[in-house]
Amino acid sequence: MEPLTVPAVLDSLGPIGRYVLEAASMAGLDRKAAYRLRLAVDEIATNIIGYGYPKAGKTGDVLVTADVGEQTLTVALEDEAVPFDPRALTRPDHMDLPIEERPIGGLGVFLAMEGVDEYQYEYVKNRNRNIFIMKRPDR
Amino acid sequence: MAFNSSLEISKGIGRITLSGELDAAAAPVFRADIEKAAAENVKRLVLMMSGLDYMASAGLRALVFAKQKMGAQVDIYVIGAQESVTETLELTGFHHSVIALDSYDAAQIEEL
Repeated sequence: MEPLTVPAVLDSLGPIGRYVLEAASMAGLDRKAAYRLRLAVDEIATNIIGYGYPKAGKTGDVLVTADVGEQTLTVALEDEAVPFDPRALTRPDHMDLPIEERPIGGLGVFLAMEGVDEYQYEYVKNRNRNIFIMKRPDR
Repeated sequence: MAFNSSLEISKGIGRITLSGELDAAAAPVFRADIEKAAAENVKRLVLMMSGLDYMASAGLRALVFAKQKMGAQVDIYVIGAQESVTETLELTGFHHSVIALDSYDAAQIEEL
């Protein structure tokens, strides 16, 4: 698919979501898999927009790409915000606590990691690259 | 699809009907309705979710916000949530802190 570049603002989450769902449809993912992929990308994009760029003290863009391969669909987010490897966040260990007693945070990244078949992160040339990989159904 | 949230309050019950897609951009609209319901000291919060097609963690944080604003004794009902939304609630353990029902059960919810 043609890459999508959007400004790093919350209103870009809608267009990012539609782009991911279109890629999922092209790759033949079922509804549940498409939903999980969209959720994963949305959560990481929300972090980039809400924390990554503000922490870097700048505004910028988010680049979204999708590559439909023979066996997998690969979606990637690229940004120039502060380096942040979501894998460094430990898995929340308070899932059984009543919600009013829980620390806030980490839920989005947890949902992102849980939802995709494979997740990769790279920091190359001052750019974060979050990579989401879903297996395509057997045809 | 655009997010919509609408609040009705009657008999001490705050009922918020959600539809569309609840992401971080939409969450403030939902939180505003939670705040309005909290200001009226509702005894129950009922979330009508059958039209809600998508919910990100911003929606979960809004539920935490509701518990904190209204107090842990105010039960939160989640009515008719779609399968994927339910999956998110279960994966994160939120299903222990809300009461999920397939449809609005007046006898159970309105008994104060």
